[in-house]
Amino acid sequence: MRVLRTLVQIAFLAGTVVLMARGIAGLTPNTCEAYCPFGGVAALLPLARYGQYTCRLTELNVSLMVSLFVLTIATKKSFCSWVCPFGTVSEWLSRAGRKVFGRSFHLPDRGDRWAMNLRYVVLVLVLLLTWTVWKGDLGFRAYDPFYILFTWGGHGTAAFSFYILFAILAAAVLVPFFWCRYLCPLGAVMDPLSRYGGLRVRRNPEACTECGECDRVCPHQIPVSREIEVTARNCTNCLDCVSECPESGALELSCYGK
Amino acid sequence: MRKAVIIPAAIAVLVVAAFATANLYRVPTLHFPFDVERPAEVGTVEYIVEGVRCRGTSMGFVKMTAEVPGMISVTTYARNNSAIVEYDPAITNPDRIREAFEALVERDGVRYQYFRALSQRDLD
Repeated sequence: MRVLRTLVQIAFLAGTVVLMARGIAGLTPNTCEAYCPFGGVAALLPLARYGQYTCRLTELNVSLMVSLFVLTIATKKSFCSWVCPFGTVSEWLSRAGRKVFGRSFHLPDRGDRWAMNLRYVVLVLVLLLTWTVWKGDLGFRAYDPFYILFTWGGHGTAAFSFYILFAILAAAVLVPFFWCRYLCPLGAVMDPLSRYGGLRVRRNPEACTECGECDRVCPHQIPVSREIEVTARNCTNCLDCVSECPESGALELSCYGK
Repeated sequence: MRKAVIIPAAIAVLVVAAFATANLYRVPTLHFPFDVERPAEVGTVEYIVEGVRCRGTSMGFVKMTAEVPGMISVTTYARNNSAIVEYDPAITNPDRIREAFEALVERDGVRYQYFRALSQRDLD
């Protein structure tokens, strides 16, 4: 299962890196933002109000956004742990950090819950600024680690963008999925849909010995051993809990309760 | 754990669906009608302009187009680098418009250099 997910992650990451290399070499005007579903979200208001796109956004961003919504309703936030190249980089960095430091660092529970709401603040700020101060320009590029990394300082970024990128990557080494967990505006968009995602991890209390291994391996600190069905908005269906569970049949994927 | 395969399968289907549906509809990056009286007969021509990549470059293309006589409106599509120009056939025609564009790029190469690569497709 982990191998399958890693292969999918590598495929999407490789595609993004190839696009980045082609962009740097001047072979294509397209960057990763042409394929980013968050662009569809940023395009919604100008589309509704003026029937026109903003900045470089196109039909593909909107279609990918719709596909992302369907995917999230069907499989929770699997986009984050299976597709998103920045999620992949964050995951690999946090694994490296765990090897180096022997552990991951987490905020205290209360601070963590509070900090997770920051991504809603980021979402509202980004959309408001895009539609007002930045006058339709994608000014978020200068602060977006995904764009900065995969265009390597493309159009709209500045020297300080790299400070932001390196700070976020360094934070990911210490705190698993730092950007995704606390700041990603696309994650905030997916949150309400993710709660109702049909494909969920389900715990069978009769087979479960409550060893807590699933809680320990969950990169999103979800207390799987205390749930019957994992409905947490943060669950990305990475399935690490299922892979690591020592009891056969204790954790399984359920599709709309079946 | 065969259900885990649902995830990559859903991803593959939805990515293909997104690319397929993106080609089913077309929304402009910029539609700019010039402040002129619309004649009874209007000609339409599509130019593929490599430099039309976003709303900003579309505005640049509109500025260039504004210098050409007989223009009625410009509609740009960044995704396929195209610009649909409406013109007054009593004043100009697609070949003259194109020549005017090329002359502007030559005259003001730095400002309009993005629009150097230009090809034309008649829509009438």
